[in-house]
Amino acid sequence: MRIVVCIKQVPATNDAKIDPETKRIVREGQKAILNPFDTYALEEGVRLKERYGGEVIAITMGPPKAEAVLREAISVGADKAILLSDRAFGGSDTWATSYVLAKAIEKIGGVDLVICGKQAIDGDTAQVGPGIAAHLDYLQGTYVMAVESIADNKITVKRMHEDGYDVCELDFPAVITVVKDINTPRIPSLKGRMASQKCEIPVWKPEDIGAEVDKIGLGGSPTRVVKTQPPTARQTGTIRIEGTPQECAQALVEELRKRSIV
Amino acid sequence: MLHHIQNKIYHVEILPPKQDSEKLEKDLETFADKYSRVMESGYCACITDNAMGHLAFQGTEMIEELELPVFPEQVMIHLNTFHTKEDLDNILNTCIAKGIKYLLVISGDGSERLPKLQPSDIGAEGVESVTSVELLKYINREYPGKFNLGVAFNPYEPEEHEFEKMERKMAAGAEFIITQPLIEKNAIVDKLLEKYPNVPTIIEAWMSKKLHLLSEAVGYEIPEDAEYDPIAALKMIHQTYPKCGVYLSLLGFKTQYDLIKDTWV
Repeated sequence: MRIVVCIKQVPATNDAKIDPETKRIVREGQKAILNPFDTYALEEGVRLKERYGGEVIAITMGPPKAEAVLREAISVGADKAILLSDRAFGGSDTWATSYVLAKAIEKIGGVDLVICGKQAIDGDTAQVGPGIAAHLDYLQGTYVMAVESIADNKITVKRMHEDGYDVCELDFPAVITVVKDINTPRIPSLKGRMASQKCEIPVWKPEDIGAEVDKIGLGGSPTRVVKTQPPTARQTGTIRIEGTPQECAQALVEELRKRSIV
Repeated sequence: MLHHIQNKIYHVEILPPKQDSEKLEKDLETFADKYSRVMESGYCACITDNAMGHLAFQGTEMIEELELPVFPEQVMIHLNTFHTKEDLDNILNTCIAKGIKYLLVISGDGSERLPKLQPSDIGAEGVESVTSVELLKYINREYPGKFNLGVAFNPYEPEEHEFEKMERKMAAGAEFIITQPLIEKNAIVDKLLEKYPNVPTIIEAWMSKKLHLLSEAVGYEIPEDAEYDPIAALKMIHQTYPKCGVYLSLLGFKTQYDLIKDTWV
């Protein structure tokens, strides 16, 4: 089984700054990390490989420094990694990004399963996974909380939703996006980390994947951000509860009940 | 462990590189140098396990990957509860294969990213989470006679609770005790020594000049500019607790290492 895991390097904060002119996320000067949701995608890919055999290929689109997250992927068990990096990719929105990733997946060839984190913590759109499926015309299962089985060229997954979960069967090739309930990501071993430093990571450019220039970068991105503004801060306050321990506990429970927390 | 104390063998803490180290090769080299120095001195190297919740490489994998020699009397591995069952057994089996017998078993202070042992993983019943007590029971049950197990004692926690925990640790098979850092004579530790006179006890000596970093551990604010002489504090520990061993945390290998050999008289 050939599994591709799409990952992203994001600023190490959930308090992303937006450039007021370009309306794009400011990445300069920010420490960068592997998108936390992608760690679950990687772990699931590696677990499926360990259970069913095959290989895991991690791919990302980003600047040259995004290579770091691919090395992290290798350190936790991905077999190969590919960096999609070129100035022409810059400014891509989720549609253009998913197009580039889809073209890379096509070039890799023979892919059975594509796994993405449910969303990236910088843009929070949750659109790239479904976008890849749309570009490739693959079946998709979003918000996957468990992979039940893989058999007969099909994958059976549990999809989380507000009232519980669905069990879905998808024919391969398929795209799934995963939530953090799916697993506990492993910590890289020293052996894995050392191997990741030595491995060669190819860099693919638009021409390598046959991407059409008018479908990538800012020009290929239909999204127009007209205005951004921070959400209104939630009203918070502190209530001091006085009394004996029993009275305090009772008052606390009542307060929590009043707010439907318990 | 008793002969470590009788033979004045220091326990020297060595921190493995952090998982996110940006200079891993250099850090590995530094670790190997420190380890070799401790071996040459005849001391016991104590390798931490995700100390203070910082994701770091595990002691056994450091020894394996760097092919460091193990002299059974000179290596102690910290083992906490932030592992999967598979990793736990891997660590224990690697210890056996490498001849490591001293383990300091502690309840983990790991970060959110770390997995956590569940009671069902190690056959612990009637508890909601795995602490050092359950881990001790598991190791003694599944690996009988393979290890010499130590536990931590924190004199800055509520006394009654800490002594009650210590009783459970002893009942679960603990064979030696290592305290939290002492910077002066401590009445709770005195009680511990009275209560367990036959259990080898190692006092942790804080070897960093940055005493304020201990504020959280001791439960009161130590000012950043507090003056502290680690070597003088070490001498105080030897004088105050002559029947105890000493665990050196955050020892400066460049500035302090050569001074300690003349301190334990």
